[in-house]
Amino acid sequence: MIRDHYNRHALDEKLRGAPRPPGANHLAIGHRQAMAMVLATAGEEDAVERLLSSVTEFAVRFSAPGEWLVISENDTPEGLQRCLDALCSGRAHILDQSEARVLFRLSGPSTRRILAKGIGLDLHPIAFAAGASANALCGHIAVNLVRTGEDVFELLAPRSFAESLFDDLMTMGREYDLTAAFAA
Amino acid sequence: MASLITCPHCGVRPKEEFTIRGDASLVRPAPTASDEAWHDYVYVRANPRGRTLEHWQHVAGCRRFLVVERDTFTHEVHSVTDGAAFATENGR
Repeated sequence: MIRDHYNRHALDEKLRGAPRPPGANHLAIGHRQAMAMVLATAGEEDAVERLLSSVTEFAVRFSAPGEWLVISENDTPEGLQRCLDALCSGRAHILDQSEARVLFRLSGPSTRRILAKGIGLDLHPIAFAAGASANALCGHIAVNLVRTGEDVFELLAPRSFAESLFDDLMTMGREYDLTAAFAA
Repeated sequence: MASLITCPHCGVRPKEEFTIRGDASLVRPAPTASDEAWHDYVYVRANPRGRTLEHWQHVAGCRRFLVVERDTFTHEVHSVTDGAAFATENGR
């Protein structure tokens, strides 16, 4: 079999070997999510936003005005593309990102302290509530940051920066015994 | 320099997320304008002490062009508006 992007995860090299049991602060690396970028055509931003928020099968993350990242844990990339094409029906451009981004899920009591070492955003629940999402800079890497729970954050990074971001996050979390593994 | 910029789309962000793309107060001359007018537009820049109007691009965030009015002396940021909104307001 040819080893190419489609059968090799960007962090295979980093997470080789027997996984350590997850600690209190844990970094889970996403495996096989379907992701797509939705870009609303001019003038259709509000309509597309309403359409996206009306569906519960996938998570919608704000990226920029008229631009969202859609993530599905269950669907295939092709299935998500079809689903979004049908939903937006010409109001938006859909771009598959499943192989282009890597999902990092950071959970545990010290996540905010860990992220504070790299992200210049106020992550207090008053300023950045659960469900909030935005593009931000983590160290020198532009990521899409989402708060999915009180102490759970997800970072979506371009695949070519995944190894760098992984090393950065592990350094940021060393003081808090951050462990890492592929998500189950 | 101002260290926090309130992006109208993303909220309060550190200046490292932005790139400054130059003076926003310049108005592009008509294509038939004189060579002097075009020379001024392309090359001649003021270096003001006080309020300036600049294009900032939020490259690590929403990637929109913003118009930031800030003070080069006190480092105070007076206003941040989206570039497209600024252009329509000013009839450009």
